[in-house]
Parts: sequence; C-alpha cells; structure tokens
Amino acid sequence: MEKVVELSGVQKSFGKVRALKDVSFTVNAGEVVGFIGPNGAGKSTTIRTLLGIIKRDSGNATIFNMDVWKQSLDIHKRISYVPGDVSLWGNLTGGEIIDLFIKLHGNGNKAKRDNLIKRFELDPRKKAKSYSKGNRQKVGLIAALSVESDLYIFDEPTSGLDPLMEAVFQEEVARIKQAGKAILLSSHILSEVERLADKVVIIRNGEIVEIGTLDALRHLTRTTITIETEGDVAVMADLDGVHDFNQTDHHAIFSVDNAFINSILLVATKLGVRRFEAVPPTLEDLFMRHYEG
Amino acid sequence: MKEKFARWDILFFQYLKRDWKKILIWILSLGLFSSGFVPFFNEMSEGEGLIAMYETLQNPAMIYMIGPTSINSAGDYTLGAMYAHEMLLFSSLFAMIISALHVVGHTRKEEDLGLTELVRSFQIGRQANSLATIVETILINGLLALLIGSVMISFDAYTITIEGSFLFGASIGMAGILGATIALIMAQIMSSSSGATGSTLGIIGLLYIIRAGTDVTNIEFSKANPLSWTYLTFPFTENDGSFLIYAAVFCLVMVIIAFTLEGARDMGSGYLPERAGRDHANQSLLSISGLFIRLNKNVMISWLVAFAIMGAAYGSIYGDMQGFLESNELIRQMFVSTGISVEVSFTSTIMMIMIILVSILPIAVVNKLFNEEVQLHLSQIFATKVTRSHLFWTSIGLSTLAGVIGILLASLSLAWTALSTMTQQSPLNLTSFIGAGLNAFPSVLFFIGLAALTLGWAPRWGKAIYVYLGYSFLLNYFGSILDLPKWVSRSALHSWVAHMPLDSFEIGSFTVILMISLCLILIGYSGYIRRDLLEGA
Repeated sequence: MEKVVELSGVQKSFGKVRALKDVSFTVNAGEVVGFIGPNGAGKSTTIRTLLGIIKRDSGNATIFNMDVWKQSLDIHKRISYVPGDVSLWGNLTGGEIIDLFIKLHGNGNKAKRDNLIKRFELDPRKKAKSYSKGNRQKVGLIAALSVESDLYIFDEPTSGLDPLMEAVFQEEVARIKQAGKAILLSSHILSEVERLADKVVIIRNGEIVEIGTLDALRHLTRTTITIETEGDVAVMADLDGVHDFNQTDHHAIFSVDNAFINSILLVATKLGVRRFEAVPPTLEDLFMRHYEG
Repeated sequence: MKEKFARWDILFFQYLKRDWKKILIWILSLGLFSSGFVPFFNEMSEGEGLIAMYETLQNPAMIYMIGPTSINSAGDYTLGAMYAHEMLLFSSLFAMIISALHVVGHTRKEEDLGLTELVRSFQIGRQANSLATIVETILINGLLALLIGSVMISFDAYTITIEGSFLFGASIGMAGILGATIALIMAQIMSSSSGATGSTLGIIGLLYIIRAGTDVTNIEFSKANPLSWTYLTFPFTENDGSFLIYAAVFCLVMVIIAFTLEGARDMGSGYLPERAGRDHANQSLLSISGLFIRLNKNVMISWLVAFAIMGAAYGSIYGDMQGFLESNELIRQMFVSTGISVEVSFTSTIMMIMIILVSILPIAVVNKLFNEEVQLHLSQIFATKVTRSHLFWTSIGLSTLAGVIGILLASLSLAWTALSTMTQQSPLNLTSFIGAGLNAFPSVLFFIGLAALTLGWAPRWGKAIYVYLGYSFLLNYFGSILDLPKWVSRSALHSWVAHMPLDSFEIGSFTVILMISLCLILIGYSGYIRRDLLEGA
C-alpha cells in the first residue's frame, strides 16, 4: 500500500519541555488511522509538525514522500485540515469563511459545499462570533470536506457536535475512505475511532506506545466475562488466566487473557451455565490500561 | 438590589489580588509622570523664564495643544500656574485612557472571552462584576490622586501649595473616573470589546478636540465639556474645586445609566443591532489581501478618519495664530528676529506630531498578523498552499499603504483648513504641507520595520513598539517647551528626520532611514518564514 504519511523518530522540544520524544508511524492510502492519547500527550504538536507550522528538531517526517517542512506548499495543495479548536473571525459570516477557505485551498466543489451546509444544518448567514463551538467546528469541517484532497487530517473533529452531526461526519469519512484517501483522525471519542479506524496509534508523553489494528490490539488484552451458573462459580477464580474475579452468589464477573478462553469454557460447561456474556475489550479499556499502567 | 450585586465584594478583592502589579505600575508611572517634574519646572521658571513661557503659551496654537491658564498677565504667572498649565490636561488625558482600557478589559473583554458566563454561574449577582470593576477603578484613581498630591508637596517648592497639590491630584484622579464611566457605558452599548475600546477612545479624542476649539474661541463653552472639568479647576491659582463636584455628579449619573443599560440587556449582546450577513463570500474577500483588508477595515477606517479630523483641527487654528501675532508685539519680535515665520515653525512641529500618530495604524496592521496567529484564526490557512511569505508581504504591503494614505490624509486636511483659515499672507502653500508629510514617510516605514522585526523574531514584543512611539511623541510634543539635553532628544527617531518646512529636505537622512527600515523588514521576513508559529503554544 502507498504510504501517505511517514514519521520516524520525530522529536520536538519547546524550551526545556520535550513535547515529542520519539514519534514514528505511517498512514497509508485508503486507511483511517485513529490517533489517540490524553491531553498534552503530543497529538496536536505532531499534527502541527506534519503541517509545517512548527519545525521538528530531529527525525524524518514526510507526506506524499515530501519533507513536511521544506516542501510544505506542494503538500498543502493536496491536504485538508480541521483544527481541534476552530477559531474564526467574529465579524465574518460562516458562509464567507467557508468560501474563503475553499478558495485558498483550491479544487472546491460548490454543490458539495451547499449540500454539506444543508446536511450539517449550519446557518451560513450568521456572524461567526455568535456560533457555538459545535457550529464553528461545522464551518471547519464543511470547508475541509468541500475540497478534493488526498490526505485529511482531523484534530478532534467532532468535539462539540451533537450525535446526529457526528453521524454525518462519520458518513463523510467513510465516503472519502472509499475513494482511497488517507485520513489521520485524532480523537478523544473512542467509540468514534473504534467505528472508523483501521489502525490505532496511541501516544503518551510524546512517545508512541502502541500501534496496530484494533483486532491485533484486542488480542493483547483480556475479555470481560459475565457468567451465571447452577453450581458454585467460585472454582473458576483459581484458573489460569483469570483476573479481577468478582462473585455475588451464582453470578461472577472477571476478565480473562484471550489465550485461556478455551480452558475457561471447558470448566464452565461443567457448572451448568445459565447465562454467559463475553465482551471484547473496548478501546477505552485499552486506553485505560496504557495510561494507568 | 441584593440580587443584582450579590457578592460583588468577592470579585472586588479578587481583582485587587489579580491586578496588584498592574495597579502598582499604573499608579507609580502615571503618578510620577504627573507630579515629578516640579524641580525641572522650578529651574525653568528662574529669571525671565516665567514671563517668556507665559507669552509663548498665549499662542492659540499652544492653548489648542495644552490648554489655557487662568492668569491674565505675565507678571502674575507663577511656578504653580505654569505646572498646572502645562501638565494637567495631558496627565488627565492619560488617566482617562488608562482607566477606560482597564474598565473595558474587566467588563466587555471578559464577556467576549466567556469568563463572565462562568462567573455568573456561581452565586454572583448579574451586575456584581461591573460594580466591582468601577469600585476598583475609583479606588485606584483615589490612590493616584493622593500620591500625586503628596509627591508635589514633598518638593516644597514656592507656590506649590498643599491645597493646590491635592486639587491637582484630585483633578487627575477624577479624570480617570470620568474615563472609566464613559468606558462602562460603551461596554454596554457596543457588542464587542474592540468596539467598546474604540468608541471610548473616540469619545475622549472628540472631547479633546472640542475643548481645543472652545478653549481658543470662548472658554465659557469649555465649561460644558467633561474633559475640561479637570483643568478648569486651575490648581495653584483659582483652586476651584466646584468642577470636581460637577464631575462626580456626572459620573454618578453615567454609572446609573450604565447599570440600567446592563440590567436590560442579555449577556454577550449590545444595543447596536446585528444584521444577518451574507451566505456566500464576495469575490473581493476571496484572497489573502482581500481577507486582510476586511480584517483591518474597521481599524483602518476609524484611524484614517481620525487622522483627517486631526489635520483639520490643527489646520483650523492657523487663522487665530496669525491674529495673535498681530496683537502680541513681544512674540512677533521674537519671530522676526530669528527670521522664521510662526506658521512655518508650527507646521514643522505639528507635522511631526501627526506623522507619529499616523505611525500607529501601520504598526497595528503588522501586529494584526501575529494576533491572528495566536488566536488560531489562521490554523486552517497555514494548512493550504498559501505561503508564509504571502501572508508576511501582504501585511507589510497593506501596512505601508495605510501609512501613505494616513500621511496624505493628515497633511491634506491640515493644508486645506490651514490655507483657508489664514487671512494674511503666508509662505506656506499646498506643496509645502504635502512635501513635509511625504518627507516623513521613512519614519513611518521605520516603525513598520520594527513591527516586522518583532513579528519575525520576538512576536510577543510587538506591543513594545508603541512604547517607543509614545516616547518619541512625548519628546516631540514637549521637546520645544522643555529644555532637554541633546542626547535625550536624539533618542527619538523623529529628531533625525528633517523638520520640513522649517528645515529643507535632506536626501541623506531620508535615504538612510529608508534603507534601515527596508533592512529591518527583510530581517523580520527571514525570521518569520523560519520560526515556529505560536499556535496555542
């Protein structure tokens, strides 16, 4: 697959603060990469480095095989970006700002713009200062989605959007993914990343701590089991691979290493199962494990 | 009442805690500026100094600039009279402006930033913030008045009486409170903090110009002008405190109006109507230059109008000036002996002052680029094919254009009004005004260069340029009255520029300043295209 974004060993310090210690990952064409991490982990710094807004101290960073700092203009012709906090000129209307962004980017599609304004239910005649955070975000998204690009970078794109609008955004992302574009999606909303992303990159304290497909990451972790049995469920507590065992009468909740699922099931069948639920780890569990542990 | 102002005292103490450094600098710098020149004036008043100064300041042009005195004959002019004459109006003006900026900063600005919303969600009255702010400002101005009075008494100078000193301080303090109440009203009427600041400064400027006119023509009319209530107290001579009582009553009424207006409006809105805007952008907006023109439009129009008014205001006194010369033998002798016409001499000074003021606009336009950067307005634009050079040169170009238009407007309006009010023959014609204006173009470009330099290398210092500009302004405004050492006056850029039409055109200094300015711009450019953009960092 064609590599659209490639970072290796990128470092950046602001004064004494080392914002990025070692950032390496790739984004391929036709792929949605979820970029997650807590506040201050370096997500936005990484994105600004990619955009050539700030200059990395060391390491390599390319988009379309071009250096993000030296060839930023050629790169910028083919990317769309929506910042995490869309900040607009208070005395211009939403419609004017969208038109301006489209014009400055080039390759705009007017029909697409009008259609998106309708679907996102934005009133383009209002001055930007009267927009709520969600409406400002819509302005940024509509401008970015109305133009043709090969790479889309979204930094917390749906913060402030209501669930209906989030759904519109997700449809749009699915559409551009279908068209073979690359998408870097930084987000806190893990369910969104879970739904959209093919690959997840987790950053913590300026370092990438985990990269992989969601499935692969899940394999590294435990499944949560809820079980209700006829016999005494307590015997399961001592089995290999069982953790955080919690019992109330015939009812138990515990987590299990995925490698031991079969042996657990063998024991369980002998106890007379009334109810059995196995929940794969959510991204949230993955996330928490990385940040707590 | 309780509902409206609940727990304002908490906010009040919070503000004192938050602002104490600012308050300290404010009181000390303005206080010492207003009171600290006593020894200096004392020296100046020795010998024939007082009489000469009295005659000089009788010139309508001088009354226009610094205000009147209550003394009618040179023999009665004292140190105290001279001090109040030269210092009171300007000190009051500064006190007004600083207080006004402070009030807008704590009211409308916090509303714009969304802080008010947060504060109001607690058990705090709807109008507690305004009350806390105005009480804080009154307290600050009270302390300022006391400091000024005490410092002046401490010099123990002849005719600087205790009564006069405290009246002098109180007049300045009252000016501050006046500025604060005007700002509080505008903060309710306008729908943004920049609108509130702009309109307040506009009103203060207008009051200044109106008083200039009435002081020269008929001082009775000045008594209706709130700004005049400060210097009409005439400390050390008349010691007429009644004007301060008018001012206090006026302030009280203004505050009540402001609170009523605030009580009747929704948070975040103003009284000027909001229209629905365009759903599509005009073709003229769709480029970087179009965008920058749009973003700077209001600032540019208001300053350019201000320049034109300023030029016309100064131009309108040329007629009075000629009349004054006719009637004053002593001064006429002075000018005749030096072989300089008073109009020419006045034009050179005024032109330089106007050029310094004209420089404010280009600096503001260049600084705007950095403001946009830190406010994250350009995030999405940085990610397009628009280059940093494009942003930089558009700003510099627009700024230079604003400077040239500013110079032309100011000198043209000065020329037209001056030439039309002068009844007697004068060596001045339209070309001498325009020439004098354009001659100072390099000095405007120099400030653009300074702004470009900070933009590229130390963007957070962009505002410091105004400090240097203000310094140059004071030296030029008072340089002719105060007898400063040469190296001090040389530290202002404008002393290196030929003062046309008094001096003749100097190609040397013109080119050198022009070249230095261009270099500054280029150095700034090389920094701007290399540095990290400060986005929320």
